[in-house]
Parts: sequence; C-alpha cells; structure tokens
Amino acid sequence: MKIISVIKQVPDAEARIRATPTGIDLDGVTFVIDGMDEYGVEQSLRLREGGLDTELISLALGPKRFEEAIRTSLAMGSDRAIHIETDEALDPITQAKVLASIIQEEGAELVFVGGKEADWDSAALGPAIAEALGWPHSDWTTRLEINDTSLSVTHDSDEGSETLTLPLPAVITTQQGLNEPRYPTLPNIMKAKRKELKKLTLADVGSPSGKTQVLKQEIQTKSRLNKVVQGDAADAAKELARLLHEEAKAI
Amino acid sequence: MIDFSLSDEQKQMQDLARQFTRDVIMPRAAEYDRSEEFPHEIIEHVHELGLLNTIIPESCGGLGLGMLEEVIMGEEFSYGCMGIYTIFMASDLGTTPVILAGSEEQKKRFLSPLLEGPRLAAFALSEPDNGSDAAAMKTRASFDGDEVILNGNKMWITNGGLADFTVVFASFDPDLKHKGVLAVVVEKDTPGFNYQKIHGKMGQRASWTAELIFDNVRVPKANILGEVGEGFKIAMKTLDKTRVPVAAGSIGVARRALDESNKYAAERLAFGKPINQLQSIQIKLADMKMGIETARWQTYYAAWLVDNGMPHTEASAIAKCYASDIAFQAANEAIQVHGGYGYVNEYPVEKLLRDVKLNQIYEGTNEIQRLVISRSVINSL
Repeated sequence: MKIISVIKQVPDAEARIRATPTGIDLDGVTFVIDGMDEYGVEQSLRLREGGLDTELISLALGPKRFEEAIRTSLAMGSDRAIHIETDEALDPITQAKVLASIIQEEGAELVFVGGKEADWDSAALGPAIAEALGWPHSDWTTRLEINDTSLSVTHDSDEGSETLTLPLPAVITTQQGLNEPRYPTLPNIMKAKRKELKKLTLADVGSPSGKTQVLKQEIQTKSRLNKVVQGDAADAAKELARLLHEEAKAI
Repeated sequence: MIDFSLSDEQKQMQDLARQFTRDVIMPRAAEYDRSEEFPHEIIEHVHELGLLNTIIPESCGGLGLGMLEEVIMGEEFSYGCMGIYTIFMASDLGTTPVILAGSEEQKKRFLSPLLEGPRLAAFALSEPDNGSDAAAMKTRASFDGDEVILNGNKMWITNGGLADFTVVFASFDPDLKHKGVLAVVVEKDTPGFNYQKIHGKMGQRASWTAELIFDNVRVPKANILGEVGEGFKIAMKTLDKTRVPVAAGSIGVARRALDESNKYAAERLAFGKPINQLQSIQIKLADMKMGIETARWQTYYAAWLVDNGMPHTEASAIAKCYASDIAFQAANEAIQVHGGYGYVNEYPVEKLLRDVKLNQIYEGTNEIQRLVISRSVINSL
C-alpha cells in the first residue's frame, strides 16, 4: 500500500511578513514545512511502525525552495518524494487536480494533507483533492486507525467531533491533536540526501492554467477608530448601539 | 572559491539542533544549573536523535560528521546551555585521540560500542598541579609484560568516571619530557581506577567534572594509541581540533546574551522610552553583534580548514580565544543591560557569564592560545 503525504513549505510562524505594492516580500524569511502537513507525515510513519506494509511518498507542488520542506519529510522517514516545481501561484482547485493526477499515477490508497495550509489559509486543498479523485475524505482529523480496507477516524465538526468509518482509498486532512510529530534524527537527515526526489514540471502534468489571478496582495491590518462615547450610561449605550448599527453595521 | 551558504542538509541539522535546544534543553537548563545534577534524561534524548558522538567515523558505524556541521549544531546547543553542550563536546574530545591516532582495530573496539547507548568518552590531560604545562605531568606509566601500569591523578576531567573510556596521558620517562608521554585508553571499571566528582563550580554546573585517581591501574599495551612517546603530540593535535567546538559554544552563549538583551531593552522603560532607544544600550547591542558575526566566521574558517585537512592550529586558537573573549564580554554586558534583574537567576543572563567564563579557561587557557598565535607570528619572520 502506498501512502502519499502532501506537503508545503510556508513562512515560519514567527517570521515577520512585509507587504510591498506588488505582493508579499518573502526576502530573508525563514521557511519551514507546514506544521499541519507535518502531522500527516508523522501519521504515515506511525502506521508503518504499527505494522502496515507501506511505501511513504511525499508530494509537493511549489517553487524550488519547497525542496527544504521535502528534505525534512524525508529526514523524518518518508521513503521518496515527488516535487512538481513551479513558481506559479495556483488556486487550490487547480493544485488539487495536479496532485490528484500524481496520486492516481502512483496508485496510492491513502493521502494525508494539512487541514489548512499556512500560506493561503483556504482549508480547501484536502477536500478538493478528494473531490478530484472521487474519494471520501475526513477533514480536521484528530484520530485515525486503519483496518484492512477501511479507516476509523475522529474529526472536528462545527458542533464538536464525529467518529466515522471511511472506505479506502481516502483523503485525510490533519491537524493538531492527531499526533506529536517527531524530530528528524541526525542519521536520517544524512540518509535523506540519498533518497529519491523526483522532479516534475507543470508541463509534465498537462500545463494546467489557474482559475484565479492574483491582482494585489496586502497584509491585513486592523486599525482602531479610537472613538470614545461620552455621556451618562443610558445615553452612551444608545449612542453606542446607533454607531454599531449605522456606522459599523455590526448589529 | 568562497561560498558562505549552508547546504540544505546543514540547514536541517541546524534546525534540528535549534528545535531540540528550544524544546528540551532550554526549559531545564536553569534546574540543572541549580541542582548540579548530571542531565541523564537529556543525554539519552540526544543519543536517540543521533546527536551524540557524531564524529565517530562511518567505518565504526558512526556518522563521521565534519567539523563544520559540528560547530553549526554546537552553537545551537550552547545557546540553550553551555554546560550541557560541554558534555557532548567533551565526549568528542575523548574520541578524537582515538580517531586521530588509533589503529583500525582500536577504533572499532573503543568507538563502536559508544554508539549503542547514551555513552560518553573522556580526555584526561590536566593534573592537580599542572594544566597548561602539560609536559610537567606527574602521572606515571610503567610497563609490565603486556600491560601498562598507571599511577597518579588527573584533574578537571569532564565526564570523568561516567565515561565508558578515558584517554589518559602519562609519562613513562620524565627525563624525556614531551617525548616521554604516552596516550592510553582506560576503560570504565578497570580495577584501581577511581573518581571524585568536583562540586561547587561557578558555572557549567550541568556538566560533570571529576578528579580521576589511578592506583596501580593495569591496562593492556594494546590500548596505547600510536607509539609510546607520541602521547604529547596526540594531545596537542586533539586540542587543535577540539578548540573549534569550544569557539562554537562561545558563539551560542554570545548570541543568547544578545537576544536576551535585545528583548529586555525593548521592554524596559527609562526616561519615558524603551532603553533600546538610548545610545549607550545601542552601542552594547552593536558590540555584541560585531563579536558574534566575526567570531562565527573565524570559527567556520577554522572548521573548514579541519575538514579539508589543512593546517589549523593557529586558526583554531584564534577562534577559541576570540570567541570566548567576545562571549564573556557579551554575557557581562547582557547583565549590565538587565541592571539588577541581570544579577539574579530569575533572568538567564547571569548564568551565561558564569558558564562562559570556563570557555576562556578549558581546552587551553586563552593565555596559551595567545602564546600559540604569537609564536606563529614570530616564527614567520
């Protein structure tokens, strides 16, 4: 059985991001493997350590710098990796189609992907991969067990959590709580450079064109109006309610 | 060809060491400093991650890590605790003479077993009555058939007594001075070999330091490294290499001193503004930064010379001396930036000073380093 972990490389959570008129300036920013994706790599390792006979493949779609995150997953213990290298910023649906074509080609039966990527924060990639493959998926998964042909999972829902059984093949989106990702060991870091890292281009997967175009990027800032409502409590409350309703349109 | 970039692999090693330091060493450093206890749990964890005894060659089943990788990671570990880093560093100090001067058989016999667990090596050169003047050593070696008999004491031995093996330097003929010294491997639990832990150190209190006592200790002649008479040369060659990680450790301490100072100076207010707006504080931060950057490049250069098999005595002496001096200065100024808070152990900076003071002393005092450097200057005339 083959398990594919989809990974991304994203700015370190502590990195200071700057917006420029043309986009986000990532110069000098430290990049790491997406923390959400790391849970998936760790879970695949645990399934194998639990006795599952499996080959573990890391799959990434993104610029050349993603190699570092790919190496991290190989150092954690994945067997080999596939990197579709592109500088294009593709929307999640297009990304999912590209990734799904590789997943199918590899004949993988289980796919892990982070619940929400720290780059675009869309939470769409996992479900979109499942959609493209026509497979069931469990999002925001916090527990996973594998039986011969099915999975038993617990995942977060709006109301709390649900426990489900899914047939294989399936897509699982991962998050905190599923496991505690390991450190790559030093010997594994050194072995990782000898593991296969297959490079593909978008041309190899049919040169898809994105469905969205980025026109402008900016950092979200929250500025305060610094308005203080004066007067006695009853009048101030009325004025506050009016402001919230008419100006802020919050109520 | 000059290239200042780290490879992806080196960056990963740095990340691993940095993460491990942040998650495992930093939360417990103060506790080990106060209790003076040996951090067994941390050493076990370090071993599990393959970070212990990393320089053991591949032919013995080790990773055969280069000096550059060693110093890249060393800086990260010492950022968390110089005392804890000294434990791993001193184990490398113990394995280095075996790697440099041991036969293939000796390397396999002594080094391979170290990889099987959280095991350590030690290096025993200094004595109660002599340190820098190593040729004046009083520990005696005599020969009896296939055995060497050791008598005497060794002082300030990191991992002493805990180590699976200790490389001991002893004189078999005091008249021959330097040329009358041999290096021999003494395994733990050899009859007559005892140790006494040294208490009350000012800093680096997580590292275990002991006096070793040799009372008619018999070891096979097959444990002698190189030729008898080569002992002093082996010790010096070893220290020429292992001074580079001392420099790396010093840089980690200096970097911590700067980071703590920078953080504090941004929060602490005086005269209505953060103290980092005061020029006197800015100058301290700039001086720390200049020291760190320049010491790091000298250290990387010395490591690069080691890895390329080029002469490195002078470069490693400069790195060790300079890095530990700027680190002591940085730790001292970090206390000054913190004012009264810097003087109590609620903040980590007083420990930096206590810890890094030792870096100016061990593996050759900075006075000895300056002697080495000046000799090479004078001899170049």
